[in-house]
Amino acid sequence: MNVLTREELRKLVGEWIAAGKICTGPVRVKPELVLFERLAKADDLLLDGWVRPANSIKELVLPRHEALYGYRIEKNRIELVDQPETAPEQIAIGAHPCDAAALPILDKVFNWDYRDDAYNRRREATTVITLACAERDEECFCTSVGLGPEAERGSDAILFDRGDGSFLVKSLTEKGRALLGEGAANGGAANPPPARFDAAQVASFARDHFDDAFWKEHALACLACGACAYTCPVCHCFDIVDEGNAREGVRARNWDACQFPLFTLHASGHNPRSGQGGRQRQRIYHKFYLYPEKFGEILCTGCGNCARNCPVGLGVLPLVAKIPHAEPV
Amino acid sequence: MPNLYKPDLMEVIGVRQHTPDVKSVSLRFQDAGRARQFTFQVGQFGIFSAFGAGESTFNICSSSNWRDHIEFCFRKVGRVTEALWRIEEGDTVGFRGPYGHGYPMEAWRGKDLIFLGGGIAMPPIRCAIWYALENREDYGRITIVYGARTVGDLVFVDELDEWARHPDVRVVRCVDPGGQTPEWSGEVGFVPTVFERSSVSAGNAVSLVIGPPIMIKNTIPVLKRMGARMSDVYTSLENRMKCGVGKCGRCNAGPVYVCKEGPVFTFQELRAMPMDY
Amino acid sequence: MSGENGFEPRIVAYVCNWCTYLGADLAGTARLEYPPNVRIIRLPCTGRIDTNLVVKAFEVGADAVLVSGCHPGDCHYTAGNYHARRRWMLFRDLLDVVGFDMRRIHFTWISAAEGKKFQQTITEITEQTRALGPYRPYACGAGASACQPAPSGGAGAFACQHSQAQLRETAARLLSEGAVKVVIGYGARGPIFVTRPEDAAGLLWNETCFANLTTYLKRKEVRALGKPAIVVKGCDERALVVLEKESQVERAEIYTIGMACQGLGQPKCAACDTHQPGFADETIAADDGPAPPPAADRYAALDALLEKPPEERLAFWTAEFDRCLKCYACRQVCPMCYCERCLADKNRPQAIDSSPTRKGNFAWHLSRAIHLAGRCVGCDECTRACPAGIDLRLLNLALARAAETKFGYRAGMDPASEPLMGAYSLTDKEEFIG
Repeated sequence: MNVLTREELRKLVGEWIAAGKICTGPVRVKPELVLFERLAKADDLLLDGWVRPANSIKELVLPRHEALYGYRIEKNRIELVDQPETAPEQIAIGAHPCDAAALPILDKVFNWDYRDDAYNRRREATTVITLACAERDEECFCTSVGLGPEAERGSDAILFDRGDGSFLVKSLTEKGRALLGEGAANGGAANPPPARFDAAQVASFARDHFDDAFWKEHALACLACGACAYTCPVCHCFDIVDEGNAREGVRARNWDACQFPLFTLHASGHNPRSGQGGRQRQRIYHKFYLYPEKFGEILCTGCGNCARNCPVGLGVLPLVAKIPHAEPV
Repeated sequence: MPNLYKPDLMEVIGVRQHTPDVKSVSLRFQDAGRARQFTFQVGQFGIFSAFGAGESTFNICSSSNWRDHIEFCFRKVGRVTEALWRIEEGDTVGFRGPYGHGYPMEAWRGKDLIFLGGGIAMPPIRCAIWYALENREDYGRITIVYGARTVGDLVFVDELDEWARHPDVRVVRCVDPGGQTPEWSGEVGFVPTVFERSSVSAGNAVSLVIGPPIMIKNTIPVLKRMGARMSDVYTSLENRMKCGVGKCGRCNAGPVYVCKEGPVFTFQELRAMPMDY
Repeated sequence: MSGENGFEPRIVAYVCNWCTYLGADLAGTARLEYPPNVRIIRLPCTGRIDTNLVVKAFEVGADAVLVSGCHPGDCHYTAGNYHARRRWMLFRDLLDVVGFDMRRIHFTWISAAEGKKFQQTITEITEQTRALGPYRPYACGAGASACQPAPSGGAGAFACQHSQAQLRETAARLLSEGAVKVVIGYGARGPIFVTRPEDAAGLLWNETCFANLTTYLKRKEVRALGKPAIVVKGCDERALVVLEKESQVERAEIYTIGMACQGLGQPKCAACDTHQPGFADETIAADDGPAPPPAADRYAALDALLEKPPEERLAFWTAEFDRCLKCYACRQVCPMCYCERCLADKNRPQAIDSSPTRKGNFAWHLSRAIHLAGRCVGCDECTRACPAGIDLRLLNLALARAAETKFGYRAGMDPASEPLMGAYSLTDKEEFIG
């Protein structure tokens, strides 16, 4: 089908939920808070108007807490208990291009020589139906990192809002076609907004000005929480912990963030990044220099969640906007 | 499908205490098939678990020629090492590895070898020393300078004696000024100073230098004065790690992931890295 | 006699070594039978019993919890049980607001000579709990978040242009005179740190100035800049009062620029009664007239929650906490969370699970709330900062009300008052203690 009304889409979502698929989409959790959440029913899915959920869909492939395996302790014997090897089918409806593009970007690190099969299983089981953006707000900067309001990377299908309660449908992959049929429409929206900074300049600044006082000065307001990293579609750093009692437990991975002082703290007490300046630098360095060097991808999709969620107004865009010569050429 | 993060279960076959807070442990794979096919290169590391407490990263400090077991050595400083401190023969420990790049022992053939170590940094050097001694004809003169703050902080002391008995191997042990006991017959002084006194020529040598940052900082000029090229001086870097396989994003020192692209680096490479470790 | 389906309740009893434990011992030697359902955990003193231990008992499957120690006046360590009593007076209110079944949480004083009382207490609790049935607070299927639209704040007209100009002048003057090395104030996007007089023009005073800047006094990078001047509203200044009381700041080493404020449209503003700082070094747009009465009852949102029965409250909080990511934004923005190493970050032992699981999140939020009892000044920054929209202010309000109704105490209002949790009174009410 080339066109889908909102009602038809909701009806499909209802069918998917009834069939036991895990559907995730924007949900108005509080009067002023929209989050990607699991849909208990199709009516929970927010389809009206443009809204940038305050979180991302990375939870579908990298849960905030994931048991890697269990262990049982019996005197001096250990038994390891495997996690189930099947990942339930997941569908994200109403992701933005900046959410969808995150997945192929994350694929790189999770398959860098060593294959992370827990990630890959979930990835394989996830279908992303993206809603192209007809609007943006002042924190958006997807075009500065090689994406755009109709970018198709990572999407299995993309919907274009016609403004009359219906969507044009473009299926991009087998998975997309399996859910939405053969739709081949195109959006053809107005010109995407210009880039707000030059990502290459940011990369060279991070590389060449590692010890610059710039980082310390601009990190003063940072309070070292993890709000930016946890709401970012591509931040993927994690911790591994054992949790349980004397008899049994799980070894799990949890989201972690380079902004926490403990992140790089050695047992000896030495901390290579002992100040917030170094930690803010690491965030920009990792996203704009290290990841592109290794994998050819910028570890940022320009969604703006970091800035929206930062309690003190920092974030990637506010920070890189201050880098000398980083204005678009 | 194999779970990347699932460890091998190892049986503890020996525990040795070296100092009031340092022990080394010998492990054997519980799975005989795995034991047979397991190989590693000296210089690689493993992630060892005390189930219930967590995982911790240590160099595999045994020679890769020893087919029946592996060893690691640790200082008791935190939650995981406190749990490891309590293990005894017959207990079970987890092991993931081998990870990282080891020392290029093949490339070092034909060279003299200089090993400089401080304190708890002996274990990652020990594996290379044993490997070299077991392939003695492949390497030239071997010089080992090993020091610690006090006599009581030296580890693998009996092996130092054994190494000195090998042909053309010179072992110098030292303690920091003030760290000696009345019976101490070794040198007194910091490792860089004692090394310089030993008048070794580094022109045809490859050096492996591991120790606290201050020791490394002071050893570089000495090596240069003795004719070493920085591309022939190696170290093994430490950084806090979790996954060991380049995914959790924690251990990068500037542009390199220490777990995946290290931990062994030459000083030439190190110089190009920002101070992020 | 077993209950339905042979249910045998599991009771965890945290008891002090010197009284209740010996009382239990006495019950044993005197052959006084009591049900075997109780697991006794011995600690040196009730004063050592961390509130998170009570919660932990439920995490691991207890159906009821007893905390018991020496009678007031008899504590082996003189005052441990007084501290415990004070703590429990507040913690109970928190647990009640969160929806825990208070019939399953018991406190008693049992002395070494009261073997009989121990027998009776355990027997009663066991029977009561058997009748109540098993307790699985963390298995609650979370209901929908009760979307409480927060009451909108009194957004009065700001005299902001004039105040803003005055603020900039003051800041520039302080910097050029060298009286301070940095002015911590509000900028276009958030907090700014002005070190040069010419940059004072970046300071703002308008309806976006809701952050509590006193939190920066704990940041070592900010302290390293030198003596600060800090822009404080009346609500922020209360945090300074608490920080000084806890020896975290020396007032003489901070220059406070007070701002009289008519409300910024935040939920807390409707109930505000501290429209201007009382102790600032200088206050801009100070108003000598009487402060207008607050438009709303401070605890109105809390009352709405308390109208629901405990099970619904628990369902509400479960839905809230299930969204928690453990980003710790709530902790990092809080001026009172200044510990070099937070309890949640310690792992020997791991008192609070670091994982964002249901029980890990409950443990974190309950611990943080009780650690702020009598210290939280209600700046609501934690609620504003939370990216998951958790209504943290309700937890803080619960404890603030407990402090006010039980002790007439409001954090940060009186520099001379004793810290609430740090002090105790011989006459603290103990109607809930058996």
